[in-house]
Amino acid sequence: MIAVLNQYLDDIRDNLKLELADENDVIGELKSHIEDEFQEMRDAGLSEEEAANTCIKFLGSAKLVARQIYETHGQGTWRQALLASMPHLLFALLFTLNWWQGVGWLTVTLGLILAMAFYGWVHGRPEWLFPWRGYCFLPVLVAGALLLYLPRGWSWVAIIIYLPLVCGLVWSVTVRTVKRDWLYSALMMLPVPIIIGWFLVAGEEGEFSKISLEYVRYCAHGIGLSFGALAATTIAFIRLRQRWMRLVLLFLSGELTLVMVAFYSNGRLSLPVFLLLTLLMLGLLLSPALVKRRIRRGRQPVSP
Amino acid sequence: MEQRLDLMKGSSEPLLLCLIGQQPMYGYQIIKDLEKKSQGYFKFKEGTLYPALHRLEKAGLVTGKWEMLPSGRQRRYYYITDKGDKLLALKRSQWQNFLNAMNLIIQPATPLVEG
Repeated sequence: MIAVLNQYLDDIRDNLKLELADENDVIGELKSHIEDEFQEMRDAGLSEEEAANTCIKFLGSAKLVARQIYETHGQGTWRQALLASMPHLLFALLFTLNWWQGVGWLTVTLGLILAMAFYGWVHGRPEWLFPWRGYCFLPVLVAGALLLYLPRGWSWVAIIIYLPLVCGLVWSVTVRTVKRDWLYSALMMLPVPIIIGWFLVAGEEGEFSKISLEYVRYCAHGIGLSFGALAATTIAFIRLRQRWMRLVLLFLSGELTLVMVAFYSNGRLSLPVFLLLTLLMLGLLLSPALVKRRIRRGRQPVSP
Repeated sequence: MEQRLDLMKGSSEPLLLCLIGQQPMYGYQIIKDLEKKSQGYFKFKEGTLYPALHRLEKAGLVTGKWEMLPSGRQRRYYYITDKGDKLLALKRSQWQNFLNAMNLIIQPATPLVEG
């Protein structure tokens, strides 16, 4: 197939943002359509260039075709929605039923998260995988929090090594996720400001390193409720068709959940910190789009 | 042309079902067949065909299967399902009733003959 047609199919592929198997089916079908049409036009006496341009004209804008197909396939099933919301529901249960204090339950939850993330990764990276993937950072976060308990000098050395490693890891996972669909990366990031908010609420004098277990116990129902809200958001996100509605949902729901954290904090979350968390959330939800843009720019040939 | 499109809105999926109900077809064949059978009246916008076919497939009205051609190329043929057959029968009867009613109204009035 000639270059302009391959480029057209690549443009559609870039904008499809579907699971790999669906994406291959769609591109294969369009390729077969273009081959038939191209051949018919060549038989009718058109040059290769004319035939290719006419095929593209008849099919229409690559972005529009991709968007229409995305809206057909993009809406996940109820099963996918439930699977995607499961990690949030697990944490909601952990806190609502006060199981978070049992090492056994915590180990089972973390083990399940890692197992599901691995299963999804080797089975075509379906849409329900993304929230599970986000929780895979939890052991890394816990390891970081534990570093704060090292003797002061050692703690600083460990953090200096830890931070670049974590940034590299987060960057690498984000880039891989963004390649599939930046909106799913945003969904993956959504719990981050909320979890940080709870850490700040539970920390003595707003410090991570002085977590008051008593206060966590006091807020357990609120924490459970906020994870329940994340689960509901995830279900709605997977069931929505339009991308703009998904983005609006993430913003609104993230903000409402932050308000919930502030409500349960009994004034321990000050207004400036709340605003900083809101800014962090905005940054986390939009940064995948910027990363995606940067990746796309990096792939475009440089004109002389 | 604009008026023609307006009339076609909402009819594209029954049309697709009808064609696929007659014989299994692939996308490009559907476009050609629709144009030929309607004597050029219906021209499906190619970019909108596949989203429409995939919507029918998601609704369980048709099913797509990849088939290998003797040339080694593959094509995705669409087959109507039992659910699609039932819906098609319903749509046919709805259309027939609609056309009968339209004909009753739209036909020019016959002049009354005074006797």
